[in-house]
Amino acid sequence: MMKRGGIRIEPFRHPVSMDPNYPDKTWQKLETAIREIHNKNASGLSFEELYRNAYNMVLHKHGERLYNGLINTLTAHLQEIARQIEQKEGVSFLAELKKHWDDHNKSTQMIRDILMYMDRTFVAQQQRTPVFALGLELWRNHVVRSKQIAERLRTVLLDLVHRERSGETIDRALFRSITQMLVDLGPAVYMDEFETPFLLASASFYKRLNKYEDLDRMYLLFRRVDGGLATVRTMMADFVKENGRQLVLDPERSKDPVEFVQALLDERDKYETIVSQSFHEDKTFRNALNQSFEYFVNLNQRSPEYISLFIDDRLRKGQKGMNDTEMEVVLDKVMALFRYLQEKDVFEKYYKQHLAKRLLAGRCVSDDAERNLLVKLKTECGYQFTSKLESMFTDIKTSRDTMQDFRSKLAEKNIDLGLELGVQVLTTGSWPTQTSSACILPRELETCCQEFNNYYLGHHSGRKLTWQTNMGTAELKAEFGSKKHELSVSTQQMCILLLFNSADRLSYNEIAASTQIPTNDLKRALQSLACVKGKNPLRKEPMGRDVAETDEFVFNDKFTSKLYKVKISTVAAGKEGETEKAETRHKVLDHNTIITEVTRQLAGRFLPNPALIKKRIESLIEREFLERDSEDRRLYRYLA
Amino acid sequence: MPRNTVKLVSAEGYEFIIDYKAACVSNTIRNMLSSQGSFTETELGEVKFPEITTPILEKTIQYFYYKLRYQNSTTKNIPEFKVEPQIALELLMAANFLDS
Repeated sequence: MMKRGGIRIEPFRHPVSMDPNYPDKTWQKLETAIREIHNKNASGLSFEELYRNAYNMVLHKHGERLYNGLINTLTAHLQEIARQIEQKEGVSFLAELKKHWDDHNKSTQMIRDILMYMDRTFVAQQQRTPVFALGLELWRNHVVRSKQIAERLRTVLLDLVHRERSGETIDRALFRSITQMLVDLGPAVYMDEFETPFLLASASFYKRLNKYEDLDRMYLLFRRVDGGLATVRTMMADFVKENGRQLVLDPERSKDPVEFVQALLDERDKYETIVSQSFHEDKTFRNALNQSFEYFVNLNQRSPEYISLFIDDRLRKGQKGMNDTEMEVVLDKVMALFRYLQEKDVFEKYYKQHLAKRLLAGRCVSDDAERNLLVKLKTECGYQFTSKLESMFTDIKTSRDTMQDFRSKLAEKNIDLGLELGVQVLTTGSWPTQTSSACILPRELETCCQEFNNYYLGHHSGRKLTWQTNMGTAELKAEFGSKKHELSVSTQQMCILLLFNSADRLSYNEIAASTQIPTNDLKRALQSLACVKGKNPLRKEPMGRDVAETDEFVFNDKFTSKLYKVKISTVAAGKEGETEKAETRHKVLDHNTIITEVTRQLAGRFLPNPALIKKRIESLIEREFLERDSEDRRLYRYLA
Repeated sequence: MPRNTVKLVSAEGYEFIIDYKAACVSNTIRNMLSSQGSFTETELGEVKFPEITTPILEKTIQYFYYKLRYQNSTTKNIPEFKVEPQIALELLMAANFLDS
């Protein structure tokens, strides 16, 4: 060794470093080599030379140049690859993807090897992504997540899953390589591109097939994984929420409140079964389910109203062949929905109204069922919530006893009223508030009422009776020509009809003067009597849908009906009338003005939602009260 | 194809035939010989180092065997690996290049 002592210590020589074009030249050599590697043509290349070139570039502070050059070359290459893959369809699309994936892995490893010095120094110091990981990242961005590939990949994979579930044989090895690729690209990629859509598809698949056992196996499997059940639970909750959201916000659904609630009940049944049969009654799953329901049930502001309407429907008609036990089951399920409601007071408001109608019209199908539900509500929300509802029941019961007593007293005194009087004495404050609009009762009735007044106040001193003529009903026998019919009408309608006992033709103003029914109620009553085709004991002159104060009414002796008993239903009042009212004065209005105007006019009663007004306008257009201006779509024209 | 020996060639063209195991002390050489692709080195089992002189390469190879001999040794008396000051810098550069 000492013989070689002639070697002096001198600065390490870099013979190429003098050339100003050195980085370009070196990079070009490397780039050519990378291309050769991509073309699977590496056999002529010297590893040492390439490594040395890369080494020298990094050593001479051209690491940045090398790194960026690599990114550009890889990107261009992968974009080309993506184009090739895009052109394939179905399974050969997957095969092509797998082939290129394998190639990509191999070539990236080779590139990593020759650029190893850069990984070791430049990348580590600058905290860049190492070459191999960079290759995966670029593959993910330019191939797997390219627009034309990502969507297709998902569809093809899910399609394969579906085919296998349907009994077909699929290339499992290919399938596994592709999912493995997604896993290699990182958990997020696997989740986004496959797992999430896969679990969604699985959920709906098993939902359809009711494969509770498979879900059970899934549950058991995921239970072994850390956080596995949490993932399944989140998936389920998201799925339930999304489906539920679509359900409650579907305008088609809202058209039929009973169907709407039935759909909610069905949904709940379905998931309840899954939780109990497949998820081992897991409390956390049940909680997640309840939270999801609570979330979407409250998305629709009218849910409380609909649930009350549903109960009303069940308790009013009663299901054919539905016994008490079945009714109990239905009510229990509805109570579960009720628990989800955030605005229970809104429910109470509607429930009170619906109950009042049921009680007053005597249309409760089962007293037991009504009481049963009341007990459930009381258990759920406490005494306060139901006290007024209970007092409504008491009023009805007391009224029944009172009437019996009243009749027997009349019989004792031998008084014949000439008609059957039914009075329900309601406690003020317990019942939905109705603005009392007294009307002048026909003389026949006036005597009856006086008789009852005397009787009642004679028994209960210190009380005050107010006659709610706007809430009553009446049955009238009427002769139309030679035909006899029994008409079931409201008290107000009765007052109007009885006027025609002494006249065949009356003007609006005459009727108004004789009955003293408030304008809105009167118009509604007259509309119900004269404007419903085929069911009108009166005729209006001139004809038309609306009642004006200049109209005249004639007894309709041509009235016919197949049925002996005819029910005259009252035309629905409410917001529609208001929308119209705002409009009639103007004839032509633009959309925003209508919204402002209607909101202003209704401000005293409630705050209407613009969307609701829009809906009403659309409904008015449908029924040809309004039309859109043919030139300016924002203008509405009133059609008289 | 497993190899037992490899040929390392210095800048001056001097050939060293050494054990494959020893050559693999250098990560760079190991990669050259085992990389996926069919680079000339992998195919021929021979690596040329146009920037490493014979004495440096020789010293490096001595180190490969030294490392191989003692890296898993439990004896406390590991002899010192002597480096002559004259070649220290060049040897350091080569070690950096070869990642060893």
